[in-house]
Amino acid sequence: MAADHTGLLVYLRDPIMRNLLLPGVLAGAFTVVTCAILSPLVVVRRLGFIGQGISHSAFGGVGVAAVLAAFGLIAVGGAAEFAVIAVFCIAAALGMGLIADRRRTPEDSTIGLFLVGSMALGALLFAYARDHALSAGRAADTRSWESILFGSVMNAGGAEVLLAAIVMGVVLLTLGLIRRPLLFWAFDEEAARGFGVPGGPIRAGLMIMLALVVVAAMKTAGVVLASALLVLPGATALRLSDRLGRVIAISLATALVGLIGGMALSIDRDWQPGPCVVLVMTGMFVAALVWSSVRSPRGHAGAAQGG
Amino acid sequence: MTAFAVKLESVSYTYPGSPSPAIEGVNLDVPEGTRLGILGPNGGGKSTLLKIALGLLRPSVGHASIFGQDPADARRAGLIGYVPQRVEALLGFPMSVRQIVTLGASWRLAPWKPVPAATRTTVEDALRLTGAGAFAEKPIGSLSGGQMQRAMIARALAARPRILALDEPLVGIDAAGQQQFGDLLASIHRSLGVTILIISHDLRAIAAGSDRVACLARRLHSHVSPEGLTPQVLAELFSHDLVGIAGLTGPVHVHAHPAGECCEHHQGDSPRSSHAPGQAGDVTVGIEGEENRHGR
Repeated sequence: MAADHTGLLVYLRDPIMRNLLLPGVLAGAFTVVTCAILSPLVVVRRLGFIGQGISHSAFGGVGVAAVLAAFGLIAVGGAAEFAVIAVFCIAAALGMGLIADRRRTPEDSTIGLFLVGSMALGALLFAYARDHALSAGRAADTRSWESILFGSVMNAGGAEVLLAAIVMGVVLLTLGLIRRPLLFWAFDEEAARGFGVPGGPIRAGLMIMLALVVVAAMKTAGVVLASALLVLPGATALRLSDRLGRVIAISLATALVGLIGGMALSIDRDWQPGPCVVLVMTGMFVAALVWSSVRSPRGHAGAAQGG
Repeated sequence: MTAFAVKLESVSYTYPGSPSPAIEGVNLDVPEGTRLGILGPNGGGKSTLLKIALGLLRPSVGHASIFGQDPADARRAGLIGYVPQRVEALLGFPMSVRQIVTLGASWRLAPWKPVPAATRTTVEDALRLTGAGAFAEKPIGSLSGGQMQRAMIARALAARPRILALDEPLVGIDAAGQQQFGDLLASIHRSLGVTILIISHDLRAIAAGSDRVACLARRLHSHVSPEGLTPQVLAELFSHDLVGIAGLTGPVHVHAHPAGECCEHHQGDSPRSSHAPGQAGDVTVGIEGEENRHGR
């Protein structure tokens, strides 16, 4: 891995390669930092599957945006496309919460329905948009399926950097503003209601933040792997500590090391960066799992202190 | 005139789509500073009653108030400290007991404000009073059932409520912990004079922490001291079919006593033998309350 880092650093020292790679590194860094801050919350609140549902729903948003672009209403890859995908993801996230019914359509089934429905919709709309653009004489969306599904962080430009920075700013500011009621709600939703904590708006706000993060993470890890960025850093950190400050610090470190390591691996092996980033983070989770299991047979940092 | 912490007047609640009410015709006056246990079988409406008292549900019929206010307003004003039934804690939650207890007192603070020294003092007082100070630095997910119970009560007290509402407080608590739980509630009551509501299907929880007991099986149908929970009373309560109480045609009135002022429950008293409070078919249960002492 040391050679991989060296390779990435060599590229970043080269002025031409730096101009090509730096936007991807910055966009990826802003994205994984945002994901890493949210990740412990996603893990302890068991929102990982919802994150997956939202990220896969983004594919439906990509399809809608592609159709709008094919009709010349928005530009491919611009802020308008982001807005369309973000609105689609937010609607999906809130829709999952509205439709889920413990008796008739449990939450996991609801998420599954949104996930497959959006993927199917996205696939059909994407194909339709290409055909329509060609028949209308417009430039078709030339992105590959792989880049949408697994990300293309190396191709990030200034717009992606700005987008990731804005999403990071919005999420961090929101978390700062609502951190106390959010933590209360996250630990104990039922008691939070009894104390007067506005659980509904907090949950909706969290869903909107997850949707924004997923859309920003699409460039780094793609539709399929974006939710991994929301789960792996927090899951790794929670294996190693049960103190909030340390958990967030380890989550951040895991995400940044995973990003840099994954990009280095990608450059060194000429593999796609998204899967490389996710694989490096997965490797770190496995290492944390082994470490915590050796340290405490019950497999949790806090278990050894349990009473 | 007695200040009522909780007042329910002919309260009924029917869940949407349900053919029958979860609770029906409940009249309940809980004077400030008393400890009332609400005992009943599963499905008897205890949780519904608690949700109405917390302002989480609005009565379909009747009226509920907390210190004269709408329960939802009282909840938002922090008058009620709620200790939920906790079957499964979020074991991986990365916060200490002290941090969780502090959240109970500080979650309303403006985000840019640090926790004031007075609030920190209240938190420490709550930790000390509940005995949770001994494990205040432990991760919340590593506690035993009894420790978690103390931590949750400390969190509720840290917000300086006037009512402490406990939902099924002895679930997961061992026999030794049950005795300690009773001592703890008595200590809290002595120190703070807070009104305590305990809702449970578990006789031990009720007996451990209540001055008076209201028995709820869709309707309130008896009201006794813990010593008055005779096998006959319990058999009537828990064998109740939840469809209706034979022979009971109207709402039941229950009055709890201020601590230490309880009338003795007389074994021979019929739980439905008292006077009607002015409405045909209404029945008043028990012989408690200031109004009764004045010969109402």
